[in-house]
Amino acid sequence: MKKTVKLLIVGLLSLLVFVITSSDVDAAPTPNYIITTDATYPPFDFQDKNNQYTGIDQEILKTIAKRQGFTYTLKPMSFNAATQSVSSGQADGVIAGMSITEERKAVFDFGTPYYRSGIGWAVKKGSNIKSLDDLKGQTVALKTGTSGADYALSVQKKYGFKVTYFNDSDTLYNDVINGNSQATFGDLPVIQYAVKNGTQLKVMNSKSPIQAGWYGFGVQKGKNTKLLTAFNRGFAEIKKDGTYDKIVAKYLGASATKFTGSKQDNSSVLGILKANNGAFLKGLWQTMLLTILAIILASIWGILLGVMGVSQNALFRGISTTIIYIFRGLPLMVLAFFIYIGLPGVIGMKIPAFTAGLLTLVLNEGAYTAAFVRGGFAAVDSGQMEASRSLGLSYAKSMRKVIVPQGLKIMIPSFINQFIITLKDTSILSAIGILELTQTGSLIVSRNSQGFRVWAIVAVIYLIVITLLTWLSNWVEKRTRA
Amino acid sequence: MSETKNKVKVHVEKVNKSYGENHVLRDISLDIAENEVVVMIGPSGSGKSTFLRMLNQLETPDNGTIVVDGFDISEKTTDINKVRENIGMVFQNFNLFNNYTVLENIMLAPVELGKLDKVAAEKKARELLETVDLVDKADVSVNSLSGGQKQRIAIARALAMEPDVMLFDEPTSALDPEMVGDVLEVMKNLAESGMTMIIVTHEMGFAKQVADRVVFFESGKIQESGTPDQVFNAPKNERLQEFLSKVMHA
Repeated sequence: MKKTVKLLIVGLLSLLVFVITSSDVDAAPTPNYIITTDATYPPFDFQDKNNQYTGIDQEILKTIAKRQGFTYTLKPMSFNAATQSVSSGQADGVIAGMSITEERKAVFDFGTPYYRSGIGWAVKKGSNIKSLDDLKGQTVALKTGTSGADYALSVQKKYGFKVTYFNDSDTLYNDVINGNSQATFGDLPVIQYAVKNGTQLKVMNSKSPIQAGWYGFGVQKGKNTKLLTAFNRGFAEIKKDGTYDKIVAKYLGASATKFTGSKQDNSSVLGILKANNGAFLKGLWQTMLLTILAIILASIWGILLGVMGVSQNALFRGISTTIIYIFRGLPLMVLAFFIYIGLPGVIGMKIPAFTAGLLTLVLNEGAYTAAFVRGGFAAVDSGQMEASRSLGLSYAKSMRKVIVPQGLKIMIPSFINQFIITLKDTSILSAIGILELTQTGSLIVSRNSQGFRVWAIVAVIYLIVITLLTWLSNWVEKRTRA
Repeated sequence: MSETKNKVKVHVEKVNKSYGENHVLRDISLDIAENEVVVMIGPSGSGKSTFLRMLNQLETPDNGTIVVDGFDISEKTTDINKVRENIGMVFQNFNLFNNYTVLENIMLAPVELGKLDKVAAEKKARELLETVDLVDKADVSVNSLSGGQKQRIAIARALAMEPDVMLFDEPTSALDPEMVGDVLEVMKNLAESGMTMIIVTHEMGFAKQVADRVVFFESGKIQESGTPDQVFNAPKNERLQEFLSKVMHA
């Protein structure tokens, strides 16, 4: 039994080492920029049927990079996280159909404006809302951090509507289609593209965009002038030789199936699975990797904190209680944003999304683990410690040889429960752009609009993995009982 | 049974202990000689168990001096773990390690403290199992044992460290009556082998038979002490007389 556990630990640790070193190997040579985007934003930024990032923005960027001789790593995440990553220095640039506004100019330096856009508003097809005045008392769905949202807020009082917020476009559109909200404001070309591709919305002002303005490529203010210069030089070139017009025409003139895949591939679960099996597998692998590493590290950290929590030393007990209190009290997503977006600005160092996500999980799940570990040790009869100490064993040795093994046995059901929670919590990390299973689902839905089928697939995959995890845990539990 | 008075093994001087308002030990002084068997009797809450637990620092006195085998354990610089190796203790509730088999329970301390290697420790453990008459239980889980068997294993576990002094804290109080005899038999043999023993018990018959000295605790004080004959047959202290009249006719 002991040998099995040791083997298991050695195996998992070598996996950890493999993961860390292999990601080092993947790192491309300099100058390599980190560019963020929001890949649920067709026709500017989205995943095509082969799960490649594409769109007007992406094609512009790709072409410019090639011609100007720089490389970049694309980090898709929510629009808000994408812009904040750049303003905090986590990423070098953002291209995400971002309107150039006075407010944003205070935080970003923008490249040459590359696309003229404006705000449009849309309602469900067949809705009896005819003008903005009809919105009185209705709910309007907005995407966080967008200029569409800013505009809606500026006229909210005038028209008397309520607002609700979303982080990705597809969920937002579905909210309007399902009738939870009655209208939405957003970038006109984006809504038009969605409608063209079958989203059951009606654009109300296709001829007269509100607050017409320009999209820009943004970098952190005062930084990365080299990248900005290269972008501008490249942009001038593609504008001049007609490449730019070709790109725009390609996306705005394309038929729906060109990028989203054939109807056949999208209208059945089997078709979706077949068309995206690579993406699902990659997402699942990220989810599993995060889960396994988080389970191991959070367990180690939690046991350490738990042992400190039953220590004879009041200082250790105090530290343990404080750490548990803080990290059990913080919502996982707040912690993730704090570490990924907040911390780098203070410590002046980039934290990769995966590392930030893993750290978030370890701190959060570790605090929960510590709480039940502390309780489990306290539940071991105090006579066991007295007997061990009376034989001459030190406190540390008594803990290791007598209390910890018995306490761990008491805690096994809590551990299994925590493992399952950890697996589910990884989905929250999609918010900082980790391309795990949930984020993979978001991207596929934003392309093919098959919310029900795609989320059903994702749900079933989670259930299968959780079932396997539960079986494995129960098997281990039985082995330790024997 | 008392042999020639040897050197002092346990020296206790003016020890006090309070839990908040409750003054459980008041100015206790007591010397115990090598090879002596001292039985401590008294009503519940009289402080006798607290006193016993102080001798290996499971409880710390508020003040006073405790010297065991030449080590002043009331001194902060004394390595208490080293001193404890030489003091065996048997508990009312056995406190066998639930995560180990019988043999592992006995082997744990000698192996972990580097006193014996695994092979020698196992040999020693099997010998001890023979002396407590439980050889066939070597490899079973401790949870499958009866109370009497558990307590005999607990004695064997304490003896594995080859201590000079053995402390017994009401070793038969948690046992069914038919189990008591076996445990007392083991303790009697141990006494006859010359072990220095300090025993808290309610077994008056055993005290009469085995003790060199009987000490009567009441209200945190030693009210009377003497040979079994003196204490049981000619008690001078009024509270002792009262206590004996209750327990002897129970």
